[in-house]
Amino acid sequence: MRLEDLSELQLDALREVGNIGAGHAATALSQLLGRPIDVAQPALEIVPLVEVPAVFGGPERLVAAVYSRLLGEVEGGILLMASRGDALDLVDLMHDRPRGTTVSFGHAEETSVTHVFAILQAAYLASIGRLADLEVLPAEPAFALDMAGAILQVATTEVGMFASSAALVRTRLSDEETSVGMGLFFLPEPRSLEVILGKLGMV
Amino acid sequence: MSVPPEEDIGIGCEPDPNRVEVGMGELRAAKYPDYLMTPALGSCVGVAVYDRLLRQGALAHIMLPRPSDTVMNGAESRFASIAVDRLVEELVARGSLRRRLVAKIAGGAAMFASDASFSAIGKRNAEEVRERLALARVPLIAEDVGGSHARTVELHLDSGEFVVRSYLYGIKRL
Repeated sequence: MRLEDLSELQLDALREVGNIGAGHAATALSQLLGRPIDVAQPALEIVPLVEVPAVFGGPERLVAAVYSRLLGEVEGGILLMASRGDALDLVDLMHDRPRGTTVSFGHAEETSVTHVFAILQAAYLASIGRLADLEVLPAEPAFALDMAGAILQVATTEVGMFASSAALVRTRLSDEETSVGMGLFFLPEPRSLEVILGKLGMV
Repeated sequence: MSVPPEEDIGIGCEPDPNRVEVGMGELRAAKYPDYLMTPALGSCVGVAVYDRLLRQGALAHIMLPRPSDTVMNGAESRFASIAVDRLVEELVARGSLRRRLVAKIAGGAAMFASDASFSAIGKRNAEEVRERLALARVPLIAEDVGGSHARTVELHLDSGEFVVRSYLYGIKRL
């Protein structure tokens, strides 16, 4: 089973998983930061991997990304990516500072972004795990700040040995002042995608 | 990590009619005054083969070492084991003599260095390219390979200069 072969009904099932994941993520981040954080109901699209860099403004555009391999009953990976500007805004949002305070990436900023992205990934994976009754665990998250096209080669080479499309969930994370856009790529191996859909009763 | 702005390393610059862009997994040849470029090499490797006399060259953006590394359909030129010979054939068909050809390569990084399991693909790509160049008897005269940063490369066909751009190191000329 490949992502590009999914029916509309199967996509709806994945969308539902995404919506619940966004709910989990909002709860987790609000707890962590001690104030309400909104995670927008995400839009799910199936995108050919080669077209993904265009979503971020071209292959050479600077993006911040966190990638985690999946362990447990689902194999593949999960990648969260935001433009450099959005990632800097995210650091301000985390620390409850006015937007525009953080202007460059150092070790502390890298740690903050990795932390939030890992929580978001865990929230989405938990919703897949719960709805499909599967054990899905992220491996240790890895951070990169570099060209979008090069970062996505993790998907096209590691996972892409088996897949040519990604499930892209575009979402926004906001507090009262700042709103940050990001893209989450769910990159299951074909066999694992079948297992998930089977468990959701969607095969 | 502190990185220079995009315009400082010539990224996002004006469109240039002489620029021949090679997409991921593709292979193209060109002759001066055109020049070849391929953007955003991560674990991929950019392989440039050049003929100084005819001021022509060819560039491949290879993704995987061998066809056995994937079950997906796609361009054969994305494999190191196939693309290297194709680069040579392409230039020979355009009048180059094999003994005049030289090669330069860049890329083969591990973008997420902390996970050893996927850092291997960039390294394997570079190794396969080196092996295939040796088999094809094309001397590898310069390389900028490995690390954990992305690279954009250009092959200039008047001089054979191989320009490597990255956010981490700026502009390198090989």
